[in-house]
Amino acid sequence: MMDTLTQLIAGFAIALQPINLFWALVGCALGTAVGVLPGIGPALTIALLMPVTAQVAPESAFIMFAGILYGALYGGSTTSILLNTPGESGSVMTALEGNRMARTGRGAAALATAAIGSFVAGTFGTLALTFLAPAIAELAFIFGPEDYFALMILSFTSVAVVMGTSRVRGFTALFFGLALGTIGIDTQTGQSRMVFGTLELLDGISFTVVLVALFAVGETLYVASRNAQVHAVLNPLSGGVWMTREDWKRSWKPWLRGTLIGFPIGSLPAGGTEIPTFLSYTLERRLSPHPEQFGEGAIEGVAGPEAANNAAAAGILVPLLTLGLPSTATAAVLLAAFQNYGLQPGPLLFATNPGLLWGLIASLYIGNVILLVLNLPLVGIWVRLLLIPRPYIYAGIVVFALVGVWGLSTSWMDIALMVGLGLIGYMARVYDFPIAPALIGLILGPQAEIQLRRALAVSQNDWSVLVSTPISATLLAIAALVLVLPLLLRRLRRAERRIEQEAAAK
Amino acid sequence: MPPIDEARVGAAPPRPWWIGLAVLAMGLVWIYGATSIQSTTAFVGMGPEVMVAAVGAGLVVLGVLLLVQIRQGVTFRPQEEENADADAPPSRRAFLFSLAGVALPLATIRWLGFPLTAAIGFTLVTHAFGSHRTLFDLAVGAALGVGAWFMFSKLGIDLGPFLPLIR
Repeated sequence: MMDTLTQLIAGFAIALQPINLFWALVGCALGTAVGVLPGIGPALTIALLMPVTAQVAPESAFIMFAGILYGALYGGSTTSILLNTPGESGSVMTALEGNRMARTGRGAAALATAAIGSFVAGTFGTLALTFLAPAIAELAFIFGPEDYFALMILSFTSVAVVMGTSRVRGFTALFFGLALGTIGIDTQTGQSRMVFGTLELLDGISFTVVLVALFAVGETLYVASRNAQVHAVLNPLSGGVWMTREDWKRSWKPWLRGTLIGFPIGSLPAGGTEIPTFLSYTLERRLSPHPEQFGEGAIEGVAGPEAANNAAAAGILVPLLTLGLPSTATAAVLLAAFQNYGLQPGPLLFATNPGLLWGLIASLYIGNVILLVLNLPLVGIWVRLLLIPRPYIYAGIVVFALVGVWGLSTSWMDIALMVGLGLIGYMARVYDFPIAPALIGLILGPQAEIQLRRALAVSQNDWSVLVSTPISATLLAIAALVLVLPLLLRRLRRAERRIEQEAAAK
Repeated sequence: MPPIDEARVGAAPPRPWWIGLAVLAMGLVWIYGATSIQSTTAFVGMGPEVMVAAVGAGLVVLGVLLLVQIRQGVTFRPQEEENADADAPPSRRAFLFSLAGVALPLATIRWLGFPLTAAIGFTLVTHAFGSHRTLFDLAVGAALGVGAWFMFSKLGIDLGPFLPLIR
């Protein structure tokens, strides 16, 4: 406990350096902007900035990335409330009640409860991260290669099952990413794999290229071909920035409950932000003394999900920083950013790079304060970003995608891959294949292979090593459950319904 | 922005067999690729071909499962996205214009350079989204391309020569 506090204080000493405060401010502003603007998410923004930040100290770069991660959540709530267009899936629930509030002239109160709720949840979530992360990292020291492999299998299974609407499509996306991850020189034996005689592929396919293609290019092609041409109604801000005494009274409990729901679920592999925000909304609706107001603009329906959303974002950092396990697309990009600097998140990073990790954690506290200031009184400025015509936003995205890909190594092959994978990203949207499993497969696949090889090397090719420790056996059992349980539940429900129908017929 | 007024093509086909076949084919390519990787005996554990073969086998299984689902009539609905109408029939013209904007650098970036390529690509994409102010869009794209080239070059990112034709 004392050690953690000492490390945190040292982290603040790093995060409060003027240069790092500057990067935190840049990250928060960029994050809020991409949260407000359509088509760009935090994952894509961080990926596009990765080449640029190669010139920046890793502490500063990660402080900026953390600002982007949190800022996008704050910005996302603005568009959800004022435009009824949730920028990311975690803001869907906010839009339900928040936009209703805005339409009835209570947009300012909705924005305020969202921002303060985000601040409360972000701060409590970061506090939990501060004390939980070192403990989990300590625990991870006892992990052997077979345990890590089992953990990655659990991550793969969860991501493929939870993300998207179909397990087959989730696994197809995952295996597509795993397949891309096998391209290039095998790091253990030096043999080339799946390069099809192309020298440029010997280094493998860059994560940035895949991410830019699947997200930016795929999204642009999809939105262009199905452009809604809808002129969304921007509800004007009214009613003052601050909440009334009644609003405060109705908001503080949902903030805390949202935090309690969001953080633990966000920490799970594939926990993400959708499930906790949905759970928080349902819970608030059930607990509210005014359930009839839900659907008409209940402030609890904004406060709870927004808090859950931000707490989950802090939770996402737990498996990433302690085990090197990304559970969302943004976490996968952050992992790639660590690897860009030659760093591997996990228990060793706490020992070898405490300054970087604790500086990053401390910056989350600071970022939350910056974001509250940026979003509460200055919300009117961010709303103006929505006035940029959509054609220029998407055309700008394409230009910056080109900067990100061409700037990697001015390689024609990278652009060809961007176009090809961009078409696959487009198809994924048309036929409803989730994209995050592909990214997680691409980034975790090679690591899973390394761990599997290590485990087999140690056990002299005895495959039973994979279930030889309680940790690996338990994790693999959970992975199997994640895979099978939804099927079993569905069958049970069908059987139940049949019995009910038969009983009714009698 | 004036609305796009061209004929719209039909919605996604109800039975996209080609997706299952493509996944199946990719799996077979990976399995075939695995056979051409030399399995080294110097390495205790598993050789470099195992992962490739396992991924290929997985893709084959998933391809077959997708084909079964498609045969059973499982629907593949387009995703809900901000600014996109998932239920609307896709516009082929808008798609081709935006694809041209994305693919243009393949043909031009080496001899026109980044700023000019970015300007033309920008204009093609704005056109895909219904803008018809070609000259204005070109100017905005050029400003963005030139600005990005100078800014990122200053940050140490190599975006190639400014105008390779007159280098």
